[in-house]
Amino acid sequence: MGRNLKLENLTKRFGSLTAVDHVNLEIEEGEFICFLGPSGCGKTTVLRMITGFETITEGKVIFDGKVINDLIPQKREFGIVFQSYALFPNMTVEENIAFGLRVRKMSKQAIAERVDQMLDLIGLRDWRKLYPAQLSGGQQQRVALVRALAPDPQVLLLDEPLSALDAKIRVRLRAEVKRLQQELRKTMIYVTHDQEEALSIADRVVVMEKGQFRQVGRPIEIYKHPVCSFVADFVGTSNFFKGVQSGNRVRVGKRTFRIAREENVTEKGVSLAIRPEKIEVFKAGDPLGGVEASNLVSGRIEVVIFLGAAVRLVVNVDGEEVISDVIEKTFEQRQLRAGQDVLLYFPPEAFLVYPLDEASS
Amino acid sequence: MNRTETIQGILPRSLWESDRLLTWITMGLLLSVLVFFLLYPVYDICKLSFFKGETFTLRNYADYFTNPRIFRSLTNSLYVSLVTTLITTVLAFFFAYGLTRTTIPMKGLFYTISTFPLIAPSIIQGLALILLFGRNGLITRYFLQTNWNIYGATGIVVAECLYCFPNALFILVTTLSAVDTRLDEAAQSLGASWFRTFYKVTLPSAKYGIASAAALVFNLTITDFGIPVVIGGHYSVLATEIYQQVIGMQRFDLGATISVILLIPSVGAFLLNYYLTKKSYSLISGQARPFLQPSRPLKKWGFTIYCWIPCLFILVVFASVFLASFVKNWPYDFSLTLKHFDFPSLGGYGPLWTAFWSSVLSGFWQSLIAYKFAPIWNSLWVAILVALGGATLTLLAAYIIEKKRPVGGQVLYTLSVLPAAIPGTVLGLGYILAFNKPYFFFYGTFWIIIINIIVANFTLGVLASIANLKQIDRSIEEAAVSLGANPITTFLRVVFPLSRTAFFSNVSFFFMRAMTTISAVIFLISAKVKLAAIEIIFLDIDGRTASANAMCTIIIVIVVAMLLVMRFITGKSGLKGMSPST
Repeated sequence: MGRNLKLENLTKRFGSLTAVDHVNLEIEEGEFICFLGPSGCGKTTVLRMITGFETITEGKVIFDGKVINDLIPQKREFGIVFQSYALFPNMTVEENIAFGLRVRKMSKQAIAERVDQMLDLIGLRDWRKLYPAQLSGGQQQRVALVRALAPDPQVLLLDEPLSALDAKIRVRLRAEVKRLQQELRKTMIYVTHDQEEALSIADRVVVMEKGQFRQVGRPIEIYKHPVCSFVADFVGTSNFFKGVQSGNRVRVGKRTFRIAREENVTEKGVSLAIRPEKIEVFKAGDPLGGVEASNLVSGRIEVVIFLGAAVRLVVNVDGEEVISDVIEKTFEQRQLRAGQDVLLYFPPEAFLVYPLDEASS
Repeated sequence: MNRTETIQGILPRSLWESDRLLTWITMGLLLSVLVFFLLYPVYDICKLSFFKGETFTLRNYADYFTNPRIFRSLTNSLYVSLVTTLITTVLAFFFAYGLTRTTIPMKGLFYTISTFPLIAPSIIQGLALILLFGRNGLITRYFLQTNWNIYGATGIVVAECLYCFPNALFILVTTLSAVDTRLDEAAQSLGASWFRTFYKVTLPSAKYGIASAAALVFNLTITDFGIPVVIGGHYSVLATEIYQQVIGMQRFDLGATISVILLIPSVGAFLLNYYLTKKSYSLISGQARPFLQPSRPLKKWGFTIYCWIPCLFILVVFASVFLASFVKNWPYDFSLTLKHFDFPSLGGYGPLWTAFWSSVLSGFWQSLIAYKFAPIWNSLWVAILVALGGATLTLLAAYIIEKKRPVGGQVLYTLSVLPAAIPGTVLGLGYILAFNKPYFFFYGTFWIIIINIIVANFTLGVLASIANLKQIDRSIEEAAVSLGANPITTFLRVVFPLSRTAFFSNVSFFFMRAMTTISAVIFLISAKVKLAAIEIIFLDIDGRTASANAMCTIIIVIVVAMLLVMRFITGKSGLKGMSPST
């Protein structure tokens, strides 16, 4: 068994505000974990408690079998990458990377070798003598990344490392972080509010809301089987309908949809969610092969948004907006245009059903 | 929470690795310095003024208010302070307006000249006015042949105006350059006249800055000692009355009573200034300000001439003191001489200095260099220690207050800001009362002077450092810690290099203050412990005016030399944004 990091009932209260509320998690050595959630959900606070910069109100942080709650940050051997890069502006790239090594009193030669190795890792050998202010944001963050990696930390913690960068560079650096993680097999904990970022790089994603872990799982599980309406809404896009379930039927307004799941017999309020790409779009007169008639609704395309490989349609169904994504090919074949009347089909198995009381949307 | 677990965690393997422990220790040291060398002396003064032996009494206050000769010092003080405040604020406001809102030429020159009064002891204004308008003044005696002279309230007011001018100017320039000029443009585009715009838009938006400058001038004037002592004549003010009662009459109780009375307006003005500065900063928009439109010729020339007036006054002050130190007999014989630099005072002694030079030199040169120049040497090394000590302590205090924010940090902040409220004379008297006891070994040595100057000027040092540290992102320190650096390494390798500019500008500030301060230190010098700035007063009192001017010139030369060195080191002027307190 490797050196695992374990959070046990970890809690942080600021006065009467509970920022992190009894969370539990076990992170395997070499795993890439993403904390994902809207701002103010407590994800950064969890990270700061792991780093030791925030005191712990209740619960434990356990690393390699030992409780490290009160271990001072510089003894934790955890590297950190900050949103603001936090490079030392008075030191060159080289000196920045060497900082953690010098503090450990490594020999000059060992430091020089390690710095070279780190610079190669990000392909920035030529920049060693430059000062942070002379680098672009993306370059600075790459330096910050290897500066944190240079002392060979047990765990690397990244606090929204890419959110200060523009979109293109963000995607490129994201891939680079992932590559580094796979090469170095280092445990990484990555905090972000960008669900696309989380889903694309993490081994496991922890979705947080209001200080609690709503769901922990592989990206695909999170996307396909969100356990609550918050996750369904926050991760990816979902259409929501409020209704009343009885058996495998859900009454939404004057309509009744059939759903695939059937567990409760008694009537209760539910929230139905469906991903835009699960909705099928037909034009009047298109052949409808074997569909459940009750799940077919008519509407009018109001807005067409071209997303690249897919096309997003905003369809007005009885005054409500329903979002549907179709692949570009289908869009062309069916000649869908704004202002057109269409039929939307919600396949019963595509519906996700959540109890209404916890629906936050 | 498990208590034992927590306590074990606080105690790291090495003491120096514990951030919290180090913070507490440093804060404890700073707090004890401030409590012991700021609060305790002030407490002693209050005690002496209210108690006779063990019994509470208002006798001293009754004495003060029933003796018209002494009581006059209060009304005199209030009168000169109010008049100075009014004149200086108005003069400085339009000067600041000229520098920030018009397109007059030579703004940099005007600004630089207006900061000159900061590099000399406040007395220089008094000395210069005496040279020009005194009993043997160049203008009064030589040109006009009148018996009128400037001693008394007029002299104090004129001199204080010159002395306080740069202090008020800093605040007003900051205020006026921060207020959005687009408001003015908007008003003018709506058809408002210049006067109406000024009166309805510019003035109201700068009101807090103006009031804060006024409060500062009031505080500086009412607490100043150097100017009234040389130019006041028989016109007594609170600050000089304290000295009179204590050193002249040995009436420590009355001195303490007057101190408490002086504390009321000075603390009041300080609090007002502090409150208004905060308000004023909250108005600063931080918006980009568009290019200033070229001023119309009338406005441009008007303001250019206007700005020259205080600048010329300041230049004349410096020129006359310089000149008077090199001429035989001002204003009658203008042939050049160096004889005034052969100071008449005898008992000078400087550690190391005297021993060294008296072994190297003999005769005239030995007495001149080893003994007569000793106060200058003393001032210099005291100033160097004050500069390094003051800049270090204020940086540490600011670091703890701004970055560490421990429990009790607010107390440290309050105590750090408080010294500006305490007049120098009051603090000086407090030091005698508190520390003139056999077991305080440092009393009567240079060390108490060094501590006094550092403590008395703590406020601006801390405020400047805090402003600088605010600009350092918290993550930068956390990055250093997460890379394994202990708190001391983090401070030395990361925080200090990033606050170097503020540190060096504090070094300049403390150095200047140590070279030029008079009010508190005059109580702490002795026959063996002499300083150059204090010698000016004694030379002047002895009637050796020319030598007083010569001493003043030497101080200015040393301060300017230091500023040039600092400028060379940091590439920046050490004067920007500095405004001393008394």
